[in-house]
Amino acid sequence: MNWFYLASPATFYRFAGWLAPWFFGLAAILAAAGLYVGFGVAPTDAQQGEVYRIIFVHVAASWMSMFLYFVMACYGAVALTFNTRLAAMMARAIAPTGAMFTFVALWTGSFWGRPTWGTYWVWDARITSELVLLFLYFGFIALANAFEDPRRGDRAAALLALIGVVNLPIIYFSVQWWNTLHQGSSVKLTGTSMHVAMLWGMLLMAIAFWMYSIGAALTRVRAIILERERRTHWVRGLAP
Amino acid sequence: MSGPGFYIWMSYGMAALAVLADVVAIAVRGARARAAIEEERDLEAQD
Repeated sequence: MNWFYLASPATFYRFAGWLAPWFFGLAAILAAAGLYVGFGVAPTDAQQGEVYRIIFVHVAASWMSMFLYFVMACYGAVALTFNTRLAAMMARAIAPTGAMFTFVALWTGSFWGRPTWGTYWVWDARITSELVLLFLYFGFIALANAFEDPRRGDRAAALLALIGVVNLPIIYFSVQWWNTLHQGSSVKLTGTSMHVAMLWGMLLMAIAFWMYSIGAALTRVRAIILERERRTHWVRGLAP
Repeated sequence: MSGPGFYIWMSYGMAALAVLADVVAIAVRGARARAAIEEERDLEAQD
């Protein structure tokens, strides 16, 4: 397959339209399986009781919030380096879904914190750096749309995305670098102390969110392509 | 599960709402882009 062929918005528009429903379908199946394992198979936690089941949405959303920012910044870097239109459009397409998952991570963390820590919010390093991530997403979206010329918006937003990458290791290592109320990582490359059903429930939900994010980014980038290329011959030739 | 049920429902409920809002935003953006193209087509046809 010639990957440069796919870098053309006209080709990618059709390719994304064909791929997106598959990713949405996979996301729905995996989310159903994840919820079944999380609520039907995983045992009650010995310390936290039932409320720990928030983990299946909270951890998956938190992982996705950071991962999507990294992918968005990579597209921004490609757009800045090679001046490619599609990479800049992909960065724009990822940002709202990334912001949505960051909000979900903060919200679910808050509703998990209340019964376990006794408070909805605390200015702890992990939570504060995740809030900074939400502001970075908002900043990216605002900056991308602040210019009359969208290509200038692309470049400014890509630069902000690249600068903001420094926040990702801060979020990840915050629980090790500082004394935080937030617990440490439950899953590490070296292994996990979690029950296998809890781990599978979490992984299934994370992959479901990942598949959803790809489907959402592909569908949104199609709209962005239409907005940007609406005066081109190939868009005019599309069936109404 | 009356105690933890509130926190679990609030978490999963808001997550579902947020995903739904994202889906609707994408659909609206796509529909607006297609409508703008149609509008330009109509204007061209009038000329």
